[in-house]
Amino acid sequence: MAGRDERPGNTGSRGSRLLGCVALASLVVLGVLAFFLTGPDVRLHPTTGEEFGQFDAVRMLYLHVPMAVLMYASFMLCAAASVGVLVKRTPWWDVMAHSTAEVGTVLCGLVLVTGSIWGRPVWNTWWEWGDVRLMTTLVLFLLFAGYLALRRTTTDPRRQERKAAVVALVAVLDIPLVNRSVAWWENRTLHQRSTLEELKIQDLTLFTLMFGFLTFGLVVWWLTLQRFRVGWLERAAIDHAVGSAIAERRSETSADELDAAIGVTDEQAGEASP
Amino acid sequence: MTDDAGPEPPSLDLTPRPARPAAGQRRGALALLLLLVGGVAFVLLRTLGDASLFFYDVAEAVELRSDLGDSRFRVVGTPQPGLVVTESDGGSAVVFTLCAGDVLADVVHQGDPAELFQPGVPVVLQGVWTAGRPPALDGLSNAAEDGWYLRTDHMVVKHDNDYRSDGAELEPCGAAG
Repeated sequence: MAGRDERPGNTGSRGSRLLGCVALASLVVLGVLAFFLTGPDVRLHPTTGEEFGQFDAVRMLYLHVPMAVLMYASFMLCAAASVGVLVKRTPWWDVMAHSTAEVGTVLCGLVLVTGSIWGRPVWNTWWEWGDVRLMTTLVLFLLFAGYLALRRTTTDPRRQERKAAVVALVAVLDIPLVNRSVAWWENRTLHQRSTLEELKIQDLTLFTLMFGFLTFGLVVWWLTLQRFRVGWLERAAIDHAVGSAIAERRSETSADELDAAIGVTDEQAGEASP
Repeated sequence: MTDDAGPEPPSLDLTPRPARPAAGQRRGALALLLLLVGGVAFVLLRTLGDASLFFYDVAEAVELRSDLGDSRFRVVGTPQPGLVVTESDGGSAVVFTLCAGDVLADVVHQGDPAELFQPGVPVVLQGVWTAGRPPALDGLSNAAEDGWYLRTDHMVVKHDNDYRSDGAELEPCGAAG
C-alpha cells in the first residue's frame, strides 16, 4: 500500500481518493443517463398493435444488471482468494477474501431489493417464491451472510480463515445455478433470459447499460480497496494489542513474583545472592 | 538479583494466544449463523414445496386436466384479444381466453389483473380447473368453449428480454397450428 497516508484512522491515498471521485462522478452521469436521457421501454405489439413494454420500470435495469454482474465478480474473487488462503496461508489472501465477500454480499442484497422494486410494476409481484433465479440468488445471499457471520464468531480472524475459505468455495457453487437458471428452466421460471447474450438491446439503452458496468466496476473497486485496507488495519491492531499485552505483562511481573511463582523462598534467594 | 543468584527461573509462556470474543458476542454470532442456516433450509423447503406449482403451458394444462383434478397449478400462456370485466362470486373478475400455439383455455381471473396485463403479453396464472361455462363467455370473440375454464386468483406478467424499440418477438397464438 505504498503511497498511502500514514495518518492513523485514514485508509485513503491520493490514488484511492481519485478513484472514489471518478466513481462518484460516474454514478451521477449514470443517474442522468438512466433516469433522464434514456426513454421508457415502449413498443408496439406485432399482433394487437397496442403499446406494451416495461415503461419507466426499465430504468431499474441500468442499476440491477450491473450490480448483479459485479456481485458475481466479487464472489468469484472471494473464491479465488479463498483458494489462496488454503494454499498460501498468508493474511493478504484472507483479507482479500473477506473484503470481496463483504462487498459481494452488499451487492447481492441490493440486487434482491432492486429486482423486487422492478418486479412489482412489471411482474405484478414483489417476490415470487418458486422462481429459480430469485430463489438461488436468495440462497447465495444467505450463504455469504453465513460466511460473514462465521467470521464474526471470533475476534481474531486467523482462527476462522480456513473454515471460512471452505464455506466460500462451497457458496460460489451456487453462482452457475443463479446465472444459468433462466436458460436451464426457461419455460418454468418467471425471470426473463439474458438480454446481453442475445444482444436484444441497442443504441442509448445499450450504452447506458455498458456505462453502468463501468460505473459499478469503479464503485466495487473503490469499496474493495477501502475494505481491504480496513481489514489490514484490523489485523495490525490485533497484533499490536497482543504485543502490548505481552509488554505490559512483563512489566507487571517483578523478580519476587517470579520467585514466588516457582517456589523459591526469600531465604533461598538471599543465600543465592553474594 | 545478579547473574549468579541461582538457577534461572523458567520463562513464562508468553506465546500470543488468540483472544476469545466476549461470550455475548460469540453467542450472538452463533445465533445469527443458526438463523442463516435456518433461512437456507426454509428457502429450500419453500422452493421444493412450490415445485409442485411449476409452470404448465396451456397445451400441457389441457392435456393433463383430468390428472390435475382439483389441485392448484400454474399455467403460462398469452391472453387473446377481447377481455370481459364482470362480477363473479361477489367480486370483480376478468374473463378472457389464454392460448399457447393453437390450444385455447378460457379463464376467469378473480380480483384485479396485473398492471401490465394486456392481450398478447404472456402471463402466468395460478388456479384450478373448473367444470362448467364461465360467465360472460359470449363477450369473447375466440373462446375455447370446451366445458371447462381456469379459475385463477394470482397473476404475474412474464416479460420478454427484448429492449429494442422495434423488438417484439412475441409468438402469436395459432403460430404452432
